[in-house]
Amino acid sequence: MRRHERAEGTESSQKKKGAVISAEGLSFTYEGGERKALDGVTFSIERGQRIAFIGANGSGKSTLFLCMNGILRPDEGEIMLSGEPVSYTRKGLKQLRSSVGIVFQDPDTQLFLADVREEISFGILNQEVPEKEAARAVDQMIERLDIGSFVSQPTHALSGGQKKLVSIADILVMDPELVILDEPAAALDPLHSRRVREIVEEMSGRGITVVISTHDMDFAYEWADQVFLMGEGKIRKTGTPQEVFSDRRSLEQSCLKTPTVLEIYRTLTEKFPALGDAEAPRSLAELEALIRSL
Amino acid sequence: MGTIDRYAYRSALRNVNAQEKFWFAILTMIICVAGRSVLVSGAVFLLNGYLTVAKGGLSLKKYGKLLTIPLVFLVLGTLTVWVNLGDTPMDAFALPLGNLYLTGSVDGIRQMAKLFCIVMASVSCLYFLSLNTPMTDIIFVLEKIHIPRLVIELMMLIYRFAFILFSTASSIMTAQQARLGNRNLAVSVRSFGKMGAGLFVKALKKSDALYISMESRLYEGRLRVLHKVCPAKKGRIAAVGVLELALILCTALEKGYLKL
Repeated sequence: MRRHERAEGTESSQKKKGAVISAEGLSFTYEGGERKALDGVTFSIERGQRIAFIGANGSGKSTLFLCMNGILRPDEGEIMLSGEPVSYTRKGLKQLRSSVGIVFQDPDTQLFLADVREEISFGILNQEVPEKEAARAVDQMIERLDIGSFVSQPTHALSGGQKKLVSIADILVMDPELVILDEPAAALDPLHSRRVREIVEEMSGRGITVVISTHDMDFAYEWADQVFLMGEGKIRKTGTPQEVFSDRRSLEQSCLKTPTVLEIYRTLTEKFPALGDAEAPRSLAELEALIRSL
Repeated sequence: MGTIDRYAYRSALRNVNAQEKFWFAILTMIICVAGRSVLVSGAVFLLNGYLTVAKGGLSLKKYGKLLTIPLVFLVLGTLTVWVNLGDTPMDAFALPLGNLYLTGSVDGIRQMAKLFCIVMASVSCLYFLSLNTPMTDIIFVLEKIHIPRLVIELMMLIYRFAFILFSTASSIMTAQQARLGNRNLAVSVRSFGKMGAGLFVKALKKSDALYISMESRLYEGRLRVLHKVCPAKKGRIAAVGVLELALILCTALEKGYLKL
């Protein structure tokens, strides 16, 4: 059973469905900034979904994530956690940050302790979990992510991929309802990006809502339930991957490319118009199966 | 700077309770410095070498190499104790310099040798601690003996970020070298200055990003972490106690405070 649910008692069962987090009309301008980093952003994320945020650098993804975690307070608009407006009091922020965790892009700015075990224990101790319980949770997390082989090494001796896994453990140990991964595959080798991918699958399997910002359109197309296309501080388009990626104009406007699988599929449908009736394949495997069936 | 750190993490004595190692090293060092006994110092030096090499698993060659680092300072430091500038020549040697003499006494040699032994023994104590105990464990011991939290937290952060600073600096320098940033001395100096400036800006940005990530994990001004403690063993504590007493006894005997 999840910790915060235990704390909240029966209330949680009613909150099981519906939006885990939503926002209305968020606007935010950085101090001294010329334009709005967020400009009237409205969205809603359903519990347990896989959400991909796509958009060029500087389109407002990271700013939005910081708002979702209460680090930045929007100038206008409101964020709702499980339907209730977030209060920016100590208690309200604690609740928000316990529910929404961010795995930052660069592990070196997230991991600030030299001892891996200490590092993982930081967040959960800040949640005022008793030490014994926290120690157990940390050990379980180490086992769950299978990082025991390098836990006894100092943080600075770890490889980039290993650091990434620790930075995910940092957040998961806090038992969040929603985990944001900011470009998780950036600078990872194939082995570690596969490991991260597996962990993400595992999170979804446990009912955790996962938000990933990515520049990998193929991944977003294959993985996501919902895609949020951001540009110039706005959410330009929301929908299923099929919906968002079939909107060529929006993609071009944001300088994003169509997923390769979809591109190939389109070329195929030009040649074999009959294909157009079936649902477009989302992964390479599905595309291969389709081609073999021709 | 990563060398000693790496050895500490690899040491076979790493999982010995840190407080035991800490108190052994500190008490032994105090006995060496306070007792000023050459015999005891020699014994301590050999004992620490034995513990680090035979028990900790560091190769003798590497240990010897590390010991040469303080040696340079030590030689320079003790020579200045021995060599004097005065108007009367002393018995060991005297070089006339105009009206004065650059001179040293035979007794001075003895003092110098004694100082040398004591310092090397003390250094070996600190080496024993730092070569067999990861920094995080040492910091934890300091916390246990009630060093102020602020100092402890600073130490934790500095220890982590020293490595980030070094790796950032070295990557900037590599980037500079790749573009001929060190083709001659003048350019090298300028590049080094720019590296410093760049490093400062990067450090500032990193610290901002760090604070954000800490805040997102509910940081409220106090670093709370779990530390894994290796269990203390009564037998080892007793052995350390007996050893320290023996060292004190030897010192007292040699100095003649005690007579058999």
